Amino acid sequence: MAWQIEKIEQLTGEAVEEVFRSMLSMEVQAEAPAPLPDDPAGQMIGSVGFIGGTTGILCLFAGVGFARLLTSRMLGIPLSEVDEGDMLNDAVGELSNMVAGHVKSRLCDGDASCTLTIPSVVRGQQLRVEGPAQVTRRVLGFRHGQDHLLAEVLIKDSSAKKL
Amino acid sequence: MSIKILTVDDSKTIRLIVAKALKPFDCKVLEADNGVVGLAVASREKPDLILLDYTMPVMDGFEVLARLRSDGDLRGTPVIMLTAEAARETVVKIAKQGVRDYLIKPFKAEMLVERVGRVVDLRARNAATEKRKRFDDPISILVVDDKPAIAEQIRAGLADTPWQVSSADQPGHALDICMEKEVDLVLASLSLPNEGAYTLFQNLRGCAGTASLPVLAMSVRTAAAEQARAQQAGFAGIVTKPIDADDVRARVCRTLNLETSYKYFQQRDGILALILPKDFNAGVAQEVTTHLEPQLAGIVDAGGNKLIIDLGSVEAASLPVIELAIFAVRAAAKLSLRFAVVCSDAIKEQCRSYEDTQSWLFAGSFEQALALLK
Repeated sequence: MAWQIEKIEQLTGEAVEEVFRSMLSMEVQAEAPAPLPDDPAGQMIGSVGFIGGTTGILCLFAGVGFARLLTSRMLGIPLSEVDEGDMLNDAVGELSNMVAGHVKSRLCDGDASCTLTIPSVVRGQQLRVEGPAQVTRRVLGFRHGQDHLLAEVLIKDSSAKKL
Repeated sequence: MSIKILTVDDSKTIRLIVAKALKPFDCKVLEADNGVVGLAVASREKPDLILLDYTMPVMDGFEVLARLRSDGDLRGTPVIMLTAEAARETVVKIAKQGVRDYLIKPFKAEMLVERVGRVVDLRARNAATEKRKRFDDPISILVVDDKPAIAEQIRAGLADTPWQVSSADQPGHALDICMEKEVDLVLASLSLPNEGAYTLFQNLRGCAGTASLPVLAMSVRTAAAEQARAQQAGFAGIVTKPIDADDVRARVCRTLNLETSYKYFQQRDGILALILPKDFNAGVAQEVTTHLEPQLAGIVDAGGNKLIIDLGSVEAASLPVIELAIFAVRAAAKLSLRFAVVCSDAIKEQCRSYEDTQSWLFAGSFEQALALLK
């Protein structure tokens, strides 16, 4: 269990940096995780679950303003053309999917075979993900300029019966 | 007939990225947001290539692939799998189903184009079907240099054009501007710290929206090795410092393939007029040379048979002016066009000092030239 958590934490950090570099042409710097600054437009969480040899969930947290910038970069369109609805949700979901896919690929090659779920997106204020007691949590912080992003991984304890 | 490419992905984001990446090419991109719809579209449209997502609701990519392979009509349709999962077991599983290639997300637009181009013959969309920009259209130029004086010099040098010149002092800012605004061309200084021009160039190429944005490198005139490296890296050309506005103007025209012939050529009543401007320079000579033969062919095709070379605005019959006029006369002679030259007496005297001009007909005005050619 301990090696899995450490491995997933390391892979998540690599995955966020790689996805930002490849899909968004943006460099992010790792930083100590801290609550996201208030965004009047709210926050977004993109999450993807993995089930199998390793079971858990990977979530990306960002303010809506930063999420709009990420969507703009991903699609190569001006910020003003980013649709606040489906377009934003879909892009955040897809980013989460890519990060989770990157982690999963390397985990599977390490004999911890698992399957990814379809991404889901939640929007609101002061969001947080709760898990049962048998879950180990890791949070990673990232910064791009003045914007911040959190990646949170919750892994089910292999000794627990349910997540 | 255009190539048909079907992208089957539940993510609208990915479908948009695929459509944008393939927009510069002569192909029709069809979309489906799940496997069931994808099979229906494939059956109806018979695409030349299918880009298929692996993880989808309703029907995943693996099942779509299995059904395609068991369909007599679609069995041979090449498939490139797009997947966020590069795990060995996934790759082996889809390889067994006979996919042509697979692409791991995240991917850059140029990588997608390269993989698609291996399977189908991607050709650039016919430029003739798109409206070509003219020299006097508004063009947006972004100058990226950490020395503000360079952007100011370019802005001042192009002040007599309707072109807009904006500036950025570092690559990240420049990339944001390119994403935010409609930029037609970027001028990036090779002297930016940390190879900033190359970083910007690579980042622009990596984004679907800016992948084909032309980038000119700016370099000190004597830095030959630096310029050669930039050209090898794929920059569209080099603008040298100190900045020469005429050189910038000519390079912008050439890079954006701007329509400039109307500045020098006029056609009416079966006559082609070649009008050289007062500010004649090497850039003008190059533009005229580029347009001359098509213009001559155009007037002949329209039933015309006369060329009038108007030197009324030039300040002197310099060697480059005479060389260009001789070039035009020879090209006209090949098409049996008759010609006359309009100029002042002073220019006429200067022309007479060149041997090749001895047989030319000179006139003081356009009307006199017309009368001579009747």
